Amino acid sequence: MSLNNYYEEEDFEQQTRLNRNVLRRIISLARPHWRWVLGFLVLVTASTLFDSYFTYLSKRILDEGIIQQNTPVVIKLLTIYGGLIVIQASCVFGFIYLVGVLGERIRYDLRQQMFIHLQELSLSYYSRTPVGWIMARVTSDTERVAELITWGTLDATWGAMSLITSMIFMLIINWKLALIVFATLPILVYIGIEFRKRILSQFRMVRKLNSKITASFNENITGVRVVKALVRERENMREFSQLTGDMYATAFRAAWLSALFLPVVQLISALAVAIVLYLSGIQVNSGGMSVGGIHAFVSYITFMMWPIQDLARVFAEMQHAIASAERIFSLIDSHPDVADRSGAYDPGSIRGDIEFDHVTFYYDSDPPVLENFNLEVRRGETIALVGPTGGGKTTIVNLLCRFYEPKRGSIRIGGRDYRDFSLHSIQSRIGVVLQTPHLFSGTIRENLRYGRLNATDEEIETAAKLVGAHEFIMRFEKGYDEQVGEGGNLLSVGQKQLISLARAVLAKPEIFVMDEATSSVDTLTEALIQKGIAVLLKDCTSFIIAHRLSTIKRADRILVIENGKIAEMGTHADLLRQRGKYYQLYTRQFRHQMEQTLGAFDELSGMQPLSS
Amino acid sequence: MSIPATILSFDLKNIQSTNRLIGLWRLLTGFRLKYLIATLSLGIAAAAKTATYLLLRYFVDNFFVNQFNPLPLWTIAAGFVILALVEGGFSFLSGRLAAQTSEGITRRLRNYLFDHIQHLSFSYHRQMETGELIQRATSDVDAIRRFFADQAINVGRIVMLFIINFIALLKLNVTLAFLSIVIIPLIMLISVQFFKRVSKAYEAYQEQDASLSTTLQENLTGVRVVKAFARQQYEIQKFERDNWEKYQRGKRLLKMHSLFWPISDTLCGLQMVVGFLVAAMMAIQGVITPGSYLAYVGLVVWIIFPIRNLGRLIVQASSGMISYQRVIEIIREEREPLDEGDYQPGHGIRGEIIFENVCFEYEHDNIVLKDISFQCKPGQVIALLGSTGSGKTTLVNLLPRFFDYTSGRILLDGVELKRYPRRYLRQQIGIVEQEPFLFSRSIRENIIYSVGRDVPQQEIENVARAAAIHDVILSFPNRYDTMIGEKGVTLSGGQKQRVAIARTLLKNPRILILDDSTSSVDVETEAEIREALNNLMRNRTTFIIAHRIQSIMNADLILVMDQGRIVQKGTHEELLTQGGFYQKIFDIQTRIEEELEREIASVA
Repeated sequence: MSLNNYYEEEDFEQQTRLNRNVLRRIISLARPHWRWVLGFLVLVTASTLFDSYFTYLSKRILDEGIIQQNTPVVIKLLTIYGGLIVIQASCVFGFIYLVGVLGERIRYDLRQQMFIHLQELSLSYYSRTPVGWIMARVTSDTERVAELITWGTLDATWGAMSLITSMIFMLIINWKLALIVFATLPILVYIGIEFRKRILSQFRMVRKLNSKITASFNENITGVRVVKALVRERENMREFSQLTGDMYATAFRAAWLSALFLPVVQLISALAVAIVLYLSGIQVNSGGMSVGGIHAFVSYITFMMWPIQDLARVFAEMQHAIASAERIFSLIDSHPDVADRSGAYDPGSIRGDIEFDHVTFYYDSDPPVLENFNLEVRRGETIALVGPTGGGKTTIVNLLCRFYEPKRGSIRIGGRDYRDFSLHSIQSRIGVVLQTPHLFSGTIRENLRYGRLNATDEEIETAAKLVGAHEFIMRFEKGYDEQVGEGGNLLSVGQKQLISLARAVLAKPEIFVMDEATSSVDTLTEALIQKGIAVLLKDCTSFIIAHRLSTIKRADRILVIENGKIAEMGTHADLLRQRGKYYQLYTRQFRHQMEQTLGAFDELSGMQPLSS
Repeated sequence: MSIPATILSFDLKNIQSTNRLIGLWRLLTGFRLKYLIATLSLGIAAAAKTATYLLLRYFVDNFFVNQFNPLPLWTIAAGFVILALVEGGFSFLSGRLAAQTSEGITRRLRNYLFDHIQHLSFSYHRQMETGELIQRATSDVDAIRRFFADQAINVGRIVMLFIINFIALLKLNVTLAFLSIVIIPLIMLISVQFFKRVSKAYEAYQEQDASLSTTLQENLTGVRVVKAFARQQYEIQKFERDNWEKYQRGKRLLKMHSLFWPISDTLCGLQMVVGFLVAAMMAIQGVITPGSYLAYVGLVVWIIFPIRNLGRLIVQASSGMISYQRVIEIIREEREPLDEGDYQPGHGIRGEIIFENVCFEYEHDNIVLKDISFQCKPGQVIALLGSTGSGKTTLVNLLPRFFDYTSGRILLDGVELKRYPRRYLRQQIGIVEQEPFLFSRSIRENIIYSVGRDVPQQEIENVARAAAIHDVILSFPNRYDTMIGEKGVTLSGGQKQRVAIARTLLKNPRILILDDSTSSVDVETEAEIREALNNLMRNRTTFIIAHRIQSIMNADLILVMDQGRIVQKGTHEELLTQGGFYQKIFDIQTRIEEELEREIASVA
């Protein structure tokens, strides 16, 4: 929750090209629902007419009824009054319903539109855009834009119409005094907007400080062990107290600015009332103003502060809503870097030899990660990629999965440039297991079914059994229907890995890509994972960024990738005999991995044989 | 405006009460006068507003109806302005004072909670969920703030508006006054019922909003998985379901609003019309003056309409009281006394440690450590071996008094550990964890975090070099000022560990606790960490939770633990001759080399 707020405003400004047509595009959001907009505009206008007319009725009751001592007129006018109240209430019902539901609808539409677009954007977009930023666009910006289109428009219409109708009635009653009242209007509107702007910016600062306070709490609680160990309590308290001090000052300022606004407006309108009373008092003998007229003027003038408050608020918030809209449109307008070429087709299968032909790739404008990279892989082969971090292993599999495309050169599958195929035809046939397994909230079964949506429960269980996940799943109270929690955080890392493996098995991929996890799991799980991998490798062409010795040894070919080039290539035995880079890597990894077993004391007694 | 230190430092332990309203009243300590004046100011402002209408009555009756002017016209006009000034001035004063009160209370409460939480014991933090604690410290505190800033004072405002205007109405005409409030009980009832329901519907809406956010976030963070399985369509449908549900719940909420407001409008409006009718009749019959009628029309609005809001305020105030309850539960917990203890030698400690039959249990009958006895000299290295849950971590947690042993004794430099104040003790002990926790601050701030004062750049660089992290830091865009976390760089496990080592080197403790794990570390960086650790351990009494053979072999004392007991102890050589657990572990080392030889031989 706190992180979203961080990105709410200018913290992370993407290069938003200023779009002249923002306002037009905002309006176009409401166009499909123009009947609704028209409906609420008509109803709110009617409602303001009634409001002003009520005051006018009151005036007539006084002048024509009470002063003239005419009871039937009073009864007649009050009957109209009562009837109009009911009619007005149905207008109010109508516009609240229309504007509110329309607002929800526009929020819905905008979120839907953004989400669909986000699904198409390439990984390059995600790598340069923080998740929190995107979240804020989809959540708070849609909120603000929908608010402007609906309640903003409504309030502005209400405010403007209220002012206009009151002005008309005042003109009818006494045009000279009315003109004097109008003179104060620009002052009131100006003051209103200036106030609102300041209040709004104070409240934005309050929100920002608030998320900082939440972040402080969060950090101090999650890091409480370190805080205690380093006896940082006093220092932290001092820092936190500064933060709450800022918060106090800002929130206080926001509150007193808000508290000052209405009194100032009230005071100015009181001045107007005083002038009107004074002048009408002078005119009494010349018959300038009736008692009812006085009453109406006082009511109209004191009522004026509400439309002014609303107009000022809408106007102040409009700028921010437009900025929000700009950010939304910038997201919707961004093009995916990787997309289907025209005429892209589904080849039906992507089994076949894979060839990297003089592939060059770089991220953004960084120096190339791969340069003139060549590799031929026969169908069904298992390739292990090893080598230092940053050498280019991940880039190779990213390109293979077509998360990115080569900047120069080409990748061919079955002899055809893979850009001739549709993205979906490739990615739906590649099974990917990532280093940090990502699960979705929901049950284990739902997560497994992610691999193949139409898989039956039996197929799901078979897949889970194949990778050896079945046992631990059955140990849960609800078995396959156990909830995994947000991001799968109710499961251990090893369990998540097993489930992501089973998910990939279920997908029956034709090409299998795996980034092996380095984090240690207990030996039993480790053995299960190995078994699962073996199942997967059986009839796929596979690329594995390998850390486990058993996986490396099982590969048909091992590639040592260094600085974007193949430093060594061959089978395990070949490369060991060479006594080169692979030999060093392997012996070190061997010792390391064996020593790791030390951590698993529980299995100490029944230790597995060390070599697989 | 700032809050006086005496008020800010008021010990909130004193606000506990089983009665929530009394508790909230105690929370007001130091602000009561302000808050009282704030409420009274609202009364004065309301009275000024009422007086305006009475002045209007006077004006109309004397200038228009009777045409008899006892006061000059300008005084009437001035009277209006003055009354507006009074009304505006006092409502502003009230707003200011109420803001000072609510923000002041909130600040004090936040500060207290922050300090309180960081002083709560380890056992408390072990069993309390982080999210829950954060929520109480933020949303619940905010609900309490709103209680004072909005609900309590506005209930006061509405009540006073009612009382003052009702008195004025009584003055105009008693019958009329009572006739004008017939509907009020009904309005209140409807309004309370409505806001009860609407707040439930709103919660449901917010819940759906949260689950929509979760769906979105999982989709965004799992974008690789989505793409890898080409599940875009599926994800869109899933999102659509959540999105649609939110739309539906929003609609439900709006339907409620679109019914409540016009219905209550109608009720209030009709009540007014009835009042107008009676008042008009009275005016025509001469029971009241036209001026009184005019004043009545103005005043009655302020009695009827504000009542609708009372329902909202009452419903929300009850949630403020629940929040008070939840906050109090934290405050009720006892703090860990950091400075309790009578022995703190000025020269620091040497680091000689003796455990004598030490036992520890979290709760009664749940023994975690049993009969732990061993001793070590200053500067020695003690390695702890054992499976997860064997008690290694608990044992080292006793040293900084994160937990206090339940029987036996621990002597530090010959003095019982419990006599050392926790603050003093923890200053002497450094801890490097397996997954060190770093703060989202700059790297520099993370390193000097351990000393809590500014340190010359040279010194920071020295420790960073010794921790083998200096070069890595220089490769970052802002070097030592690079932020760690969401807004800056993400460090690898090994890098984090080395920053933690630098942090500990700067602290320069006499005793060191080390979780010696490189599970998340690249093979390449292992050597660097090794070296950094060696620098760190020099001349310090070190406890290592061992995962690697090197750290065991060099240890002066090895403790092999199982189920809370020490099953074997001694040096590497001694233990080797004893057989048992340790023998087995060490055999692995030799077996590894043999396996490797065989492996390589097999391919040759």
